[in-house]
Amino acid sequence: MAFQLGKSLAELEIGQRAIVKDVEGEGRMAVRLLEMGFVPGVEVALIKRAPFGDPLELRLRGYHVSLRRAEARAIRVEVQTEVQA
Amino acid sequence: MSDANQTSLHVAVAGNPNVGKTSLFNLLTHSRYKVGNYPGITVETREGQLRVGPPEGKPITLIDLPGTYSLTPTAEDEAVAFRALTGADGQPRPDAVLLVLDASNLARNLYLTLQIVELGLPCVVVLNMVDLAEQAGVPVDVDALAKALGLPVVPTVARTGVGIEQAAALLRTLGQPTQRAMGGSGGSGGSEIEARVASDPARARWLLAAAEADALELTGASPSERAALVELGPPVIRKAVREQIIARYTEVDRLLAGVIPAERGPRPIWAPAMVVSAKIDRVLTHRILGPVVFLAVMALVFQSLFSWADPLIGLIESAIGWLADLTRSTLGEGAFTDLLTEGVIAGVGNVVVFVPQIALLFLFVGLLEDSGYMARAAFLVDRLMARIGLNGKAFVPLLSGYACAIPAIMGTRTISGFKDRLVTILMIPFMSCSARLPVYTLVIGALFAANERVVGPFTQGGLLLLGMYMLSTFGALGMGAIYKRTLLRSPTPPLVLELPPYRLPRLRDTARHVWDRTADFLRDAGTIILAVTVVLWGLLSYPKVDPETLPAGETAIEHSIAGKLGKAIEPVLTPIGQDWRIGIGLIGSFAAREVLVSTLGLVYGIESDVDDDDTPLREVIRTAKTPEGTPRYGKASGLALMVFFVFACQCMSTLAVVKRETQSWRWPLFMLVSMTVIAYVAALLTFWLAKAFGL
Repeated sequence: MAFQLGKSLAELEIGQRAIVKDVEGEGRMAVRLLEMGFVPGVEVALIKRAPFGDPLELRLRGYHVSLRRAEARAIRVEVQTEVQA
Repeated sequence: MSDANQTSLHVAVAGNPNVGKTSLFNLLTHSRYKVGNYPGITVETREGQLRVGPPEGKPITLIDLPGTYSLTPTAEDEAVAFRALTGADGQPRPDAVLLVLDASNLARNLYLTLQIVELGLPCVVVLNMVDLAEQAGVPVDVDALAKALGLPVVPTVARTGVGIEQAAALLRTLGQPTQRAMGGSGGSGGSEIEARVASDPARARWLLAAAEADALELTGASPSERAALVELGPPVIRKAVREQIIARYTEVDRLLAGVIPAERGPRPIWAPAMVVSAKIDRVLTHRILGPVVFLAVMALVFQSLFSWADPLIGLIESAIGWLADLTRSTLGEGAFTDLLTEGVIAGVGNVVVFVPQIALLFLFVGLLEDSGYMARAAFLVDRLMARIGLNGKAFVPLLSGYACAIPAIMGTRTISGFKDRLVTILMIPFMSCSARLPVYTLVIGALFAANERVVGPFTQGGLLLLGMYMLSTFGALGMGAIYKRTLLRSPTPPLVLELPPYRLPRLRDTARHVWDRTADFLRDAGTIILAVTVVLWGLLSYPKVDPETLPAGETAIEHSIAGKLGKAIEPVLTPIGQDWRIGIGLIGSFAAREVLVSTLGLVYGIESDVDDDDTPLREVIRTAKTPEGTPRYGKASGLALMVFFVFACQCMSTLAVVKRETQSWRWPLFMLVSMTVIAYVAALLTFWLAKAFGL
């Protein structure tokens, strides 16, 4: 496994997995994202983008959730490039 | 906790959205419940007796809370759930909580579980959809989960009713004296920071999270609690809230080890429960196919509201007509008969006539919602709706507004956030509903060469009609954007939208939901509509004059109160190219827009109905002359009248429903006044411009 630092969730490519490092920002949105399970250490994956490029469909824990890119930008991740055996 | 004199145990039913909570509640109560409303807001709770199993011990009342992901009050639903669980608002604190979890999605579901366990209430866990979890390859070890949580756990499949008896039996043991408090793992003592906010650590955590989410106004926090939060300051609060959320998720992950099998080997990118849904989504949220299917689904909804409801509406209208005739022939002519037939029976008709469209819309919305498609629809159109400042969930109600504002406004309940819901409610009456169509057709038919070709196959009539629909659409979108940025200023609601697995809806639940909404309309909005119909009838009929004694060309209606009102407002109508006759029509059309046609018929002494051919009326309007011999209505007047109808809130039923949905007269009044002003100004501009262009 190789790691790449300093990306936001909005920058993931389709099919890519990443580990959440931090939820930036404050207020209601940050609380909601954390409570939906975007806590540091959790794995997320980008499944697809909606027809006009936004919002995103993400896999998180046991479910799929949709966020706009604007909100996904607040989530810092470490991209996890899976090296296939 | 429970009062010794209390005759019934109160059990709150809590859980995330999309976990089958409603089905479970319906099964446990045999769908016999009453719908309650929290004062001032429209979050519903339902209350019913446990009716499964032998009635041993104390009766058990189940209270269905709104489905939420958390108790942190980021919206009304969460605030209602927390306040109900802690016994605020003068309600008793529940004796226990029935937690409904989705077995295939525990890694998120358990977050709410921990929050509720922290409240220290006895909890019983229903692990729903265990079949789907197994199919998805993530079977839950029920005993391990029960042990880890320290709570009794019953596996169920609400769709088929598996496990319902066991769940009911477990609830009944709550009534036994041997009952012990089962709050376990999460009920840790409060931190020092929490202790400074409130003595109860669970409340302190809730208030801290609410403060961080800028939602203290939803908590009913006391002045001393507020002061304590101010003293702590935002950085301390932020850190405490993050720590509390992260600690819960750490606990969730710890609990789940050994409860669900760890994922091994090459894992698919999708969540286990989403493998089948992801395949369906290859079509339904596909870049090109997705929008195509979406348009087809919306076309179906739209078509059903426009035309499938029609035969039923026709049937209701004939039934009402038959009832009126029967009453007339039984009682004979007279003032009382008129009151009954033209006031009361017509009023009942005005109410019942909305039922087919309401039922159809809620049937579709219910099926789309329960199957999981609604979330995909919101996902597809979110980009477009975000431009106005709304989220994707506002789309279906807005579209339904083209058919009828009544069901559309009732359909806004899926929108979270009162301001966003209100913006949508205020936009809907601008959408050109089907009741405006007879008005447009009458005016176009009377004053324009409707069939004259303009470009290609397009006639003057068709283009004018298109113009009115475009004006109404842009009007609605524009007003929405304006309200969102001024009066109801609030940030574009963030989209944190779960895309649940596709599931077959349980039709009995959908049917029950349709019935609940329809009954709600008949009871609350229906009463207002009935009353206003009777009042309008009185205005249009009294004082009575004998038509025989009137000079030629005068009709009884112009001597009525409404007639005098129409004449009184003529000075206001002249600048927009209308006269007192139209004024009477406007007053009458408040009952329903299409009534303009029949009221104008009465003014001109022509007995005609909406459904009847309005050719004689068109003829009269076209040829009507002023005393000076010039045509009474020109093209400019016609355009102005149509534009007025595009924007005006000429519909008491809309106002009645808005009153019902916002729980106050403030917003319907605002709607009536603002829309009338906008309509007047638009009609004025239209009339001037049309005159300036020589029409």
